[in-house]
Amino acid sequence: CLFPVLIDQLNTHWPMKVKLLLRNPQDYLRETADDIHKLARNPAPELHPMSAETEYVRALNAAKLERMFAKPFLGCFGDQGDQLSRVCMHPRALSLCLSGCVDGRVAFWNIPRRSRVLQLDAHSGCVQGLCWHPEQDLFYSCCDTDRTLKAWRVGDDLTEFSRPVSQRHLDFAPLNLDHHVSKDLFALSGDAVYLYDSRRSDPVGQWKWGSDSVLQARFNPTEWHLLAAVTKDNALLLIDTRQREPLRRIRCEFRQNALCWNPQEPFVLATASDDYNLYSWDARRLASPACVYRGHTNAAMDVDFAPTGRELVSASYDCTVRLWESGRSQSRDVYHTKRMYRVFAARYSLDARFIVTASADFNLRLWKARASEKLGALTPRERAAVNTAEALKQKYAHHPQVRRIVQHRHLPKRLYQAQLEMKAIRGKQRRKEVNRREHRGEDKEPFVPERDRHVRGVDE
Amino acid sequence: FQTTMDVAAEDSDQMPSGFHAKAAAKAARLRREAAKLASAAALESPGGIESRPGEWAPTQSKLLRRVAVAARPGHFELSLQYGPYSVAYDTTGRLLALCGRGGHVAAFEWRQKRLMFESQVNEPCHALTWVGAGSTPQLAVAHSNWTYIYDAQGLELHCLKRLHKANKLFWLPRHWLLAACTDTGHLHWQDVSTGQTVASYCGHHGPLRVSALHPDSGCVLTGQPNGQLCIWTPLEKRPVVKILCCPAGVRAVATAPAGHAVYTLGGDSRLRVWDIRCLRPLSVSDSGADAASIRLFDAAPQLAVSQRGLLACPVRQGAALMVLPAGGAKPLLSHPSPGRLSDLAFCPWEDVLAFGHARGLGSVLVPGSGEPNPDGAVHPLSGKRQRREAEVRGLLDKLPPETIAPPAVGGGVNAVDAEGIEEALARKRAAVMALPSDEVRQFQPRRRSGKASGELNRKVGERWQRRRMELRQLLKSKKRVLAEMGDEGADAAGGRKTKKAKKVSQSGELTKPATGTFLDRLIPKAD
Repeated sequence: CLFPVLIDQLNTHWPMKVKLLLRNPQDYLRETADDIHKLARNPAPELHPMSAETEYVRALNAAKLERMFAKPFLGCFGDQGDQLSRVCMHPRALSLCLSGCVDGRVAFWNIPRRSRVLQLDAHSGCVQGLCWHPEQDLFYSCCDTDRTLKAWRVGDDLTEFSRPVSQRHLDFAPLNLDHHVSKDLFALSGDAVYLYDSRRSDPVGQWKWGSDSVLQARFNPTEWHLLAAVTKDNALLLIDTRQREPLRRIRCEFRQNALCWNPQEPFVLATASDDYNLYSWDARRLASPACVYRGHTNAAMDVDFAPTGRELVSASYDCTVRLWESGRSQSRDVYHTKRMYRVFAARYSLDARFIVTASADFNLRLWKARASEKLGALTPRERAAVNTAEALKQKYAHHPQVRRIVQHRHLPKRLYQAQLEMKAIRGKQRRKEVNRREHRGEDKEPFVPERDRHVRGVDE
Repeated sequence: FQTTMDVAAEDSDQMPSGFHAKAAAKAARLRREAAKLASAAALESPGGIESRPGEWAPTQSKLLRRVAVAARPGHFELSLQYGPYSVAYDTTGRLLALCGRGGHVAAFEWRQKRLMFESQVNEPCHALTWVGAGSTPQLAVAHSNWTYIYDAQGLELHCLKRLHKANKLFWLPRHWLLAACTDTGHLHWQDVSTGQTVASYCGHHGPLRVSALHPDSGCVLTGQPNGQLCIWTPLEKRPVVKILCCPAGVRAVATAPAGHAVYTLGGDSRLRVWDIRCLRPLSVSDSGADAASIRLFDAAPQLAVSQRGLLACPVRQGAALMVLPAGGAKPLLSHPSPGRLSDLAFCPWEDVLAFGHARGLGSVLVPGSGEPNPDGAVHPLSGKRQRREAEVRGLLDKLPPETIAPPAVGGGVNAVDAEGIEEALARKRAAVMALPSDEVRQFQPRRRSGKASGELNRKVGERWQRRRMELRQLLKSKKRVLAEMGDEGADAAGGRKTKKAKKVSQSGELTKPATGTFLDRLIPKAD
């Protein structure tokens, strides 16, 4: 037949072009066992359906894993034998800290090993103040019972020294001590705020407002002439050392137990108050606190800023330690243990990764600042995974399921009940206010924002 | 697109500070890398046939002469005796399984022709699907009564008695769900990772003989004898969507492995393509002249769609199969079948089509059917370790069954909860509308007399005291809502104006709500 020949000729002259999908395995397999596996990528959205849902599930898993790995408690430093009053971190060495006890002993600790390096019988009464010299290997301690201020030098081999380098007898009972960030000055608070120069025996400056004693005075790390102090009569003082009288006095409703300057922002300071709150203040505008940190169910005893200036830690009489983000009034985390009793001091480590707390059960404890952080070196992939998880949690932070997991913290029954009680009290107060406003009217009972409720007045 | 920061980054003098310059430079670098990744030359290009205008569709022998020898394993024929066969590929495209009505169940790696297992179960097997991830492949087979799950060695792992008389099995890889449609009209969704039955109900729409899975959303589509196409989800016991897609009964439904196209073959032998997102027809032919449908005469009701949109269907009463290009009516290729065709399945990621028939099964080369560039480890050349990792990640990323919803219905994780907002507004309005009237509030229950009336009167009095308190609260909340909604709301509600609202309108100022909330923009304007 003629047709097969024609068709054959057609085929040879105009061959049909056929391309079949054939993969070369070499393009998909790794070359040697030392190489990482090859991963095929095609970002076309047809191959990635339900990507938003997958991302949401990953955010949920990230939140759950973060809670699973949240084990912030690292350990106890060992029984000190009596109640601890002060904790002081070394200004330059990451692994060293001091603790002061109510029976007058000062202990020097190695933080990573959680072991005591040396112990001094510094005073006969409660160690009320402890601070390091910023540059020299020297620390100061003061006591209100024997009214002394002692300077101690610690040698390189960290051997015990039973006698102080220098000793100063004061004519007042000092309640706290702070050293200037660079100059050879330190501030003692007692019945007033006294500024001492280490080379002089008499105080260089003295400031007082009212008749009650000053609980704590601290230097601003950036503005070298600025001091802040908290007094027993519920006041916060702002002092310029170049002037004879204090600059400002803020009269609060309750006593401020401790204060701390923000190391990164020169005009921000935080105080821990007896009314269960912390307050952060802007020194430029002291009429009301910049932020009210609510969460504790008993008096806040101590507050410390992280070296980054973005986080706060607070120690409270309700046996918990709370961590806060600067500017957010709800706490980020809460630490508690069965054995930890009233917490009187909390300090951040220099790298902002650890927290040391001193509590009334005679123990110093070490905690992680970020509860689910992995200690140790992270491989690049681990770091990428951690960063991705963080980004996902932030992206879906408002979704109710993710928010519920991220925010929830377990509290022991009595703390949980205390929290509910505080909530009920607050709810009652708000309800009564609303009712009064409805009954009397907006002009007789104006709406006062939270920030303006806690300051009685500012005096100049 | 360029932002002001990009423009400024080019001229660093315009940056407010070094910090901004660095941030802008970093953002620009990330954008460049993303653009490079998106436009990266893909590793593989898709297959295809370029033929002359009048030429007939090529036969397999012709194709085999023109392609590399490495492609030959894609074309084979197996003569088997145990009844019409159903075939299934796993998601990687590496494994092929078959089950026959005579009880023959087998699985093998089709490229190397390496048999994984083969067994005779002495029961008719109607449908099968691979379940699980590629690292531990398991096969679910629907026997005449129950569904069994076999492992890679052919050992029976599970007997799912709930999946009774299943005629179609579907695997939802992102949800780790095995879905089944049964002859009794039931639908089942079984979680394979935890063993939990997510949903199992009777659809009350007759036996579900014609069904398909929409892989992008996880919904099951069924075709009804009255021409309806129903979309089912595990959370609803009724079809979520019903569309009338054919004037006669629906004979076959098929979906592409990715995308929004749904193919229906009606009793009038017309193949129609629908867009599942808007439930409207998609045009089929290139010319656009007869956009609604193409005629498939004598087509037996099995359809298969490839990753690139090629459609395979049996023709001539199942004596041959035909492959149509995406959106075209002219066949790309055809192939005779030794027995009456019973099942068709495109191999994912490869240019291969497997077909089961009454006398065995076969496989043909179909240039241009497979997606050339896979993503991740789900492709035929992924190694064992990669498949294992992908399985673990797949389990961690397992989606909850609530995410199975047809795209037409909307919603999703990132959707705005407009209903929630409207509900809140409706509740507010209801609080305003439901006024406790004065008569209701001042009602006094009648006092009874007689024996034991003291106790009864006291109880009734207490009950009404409580009710009066509730009414008082209701009135207060209504007042508060009115104050928030302001004058406009008061007019709309027809309730009493509050003192404050009156004052504002008297002074002639614009009537604005006292405390504006974001919901105010949803309040209908009083005309």
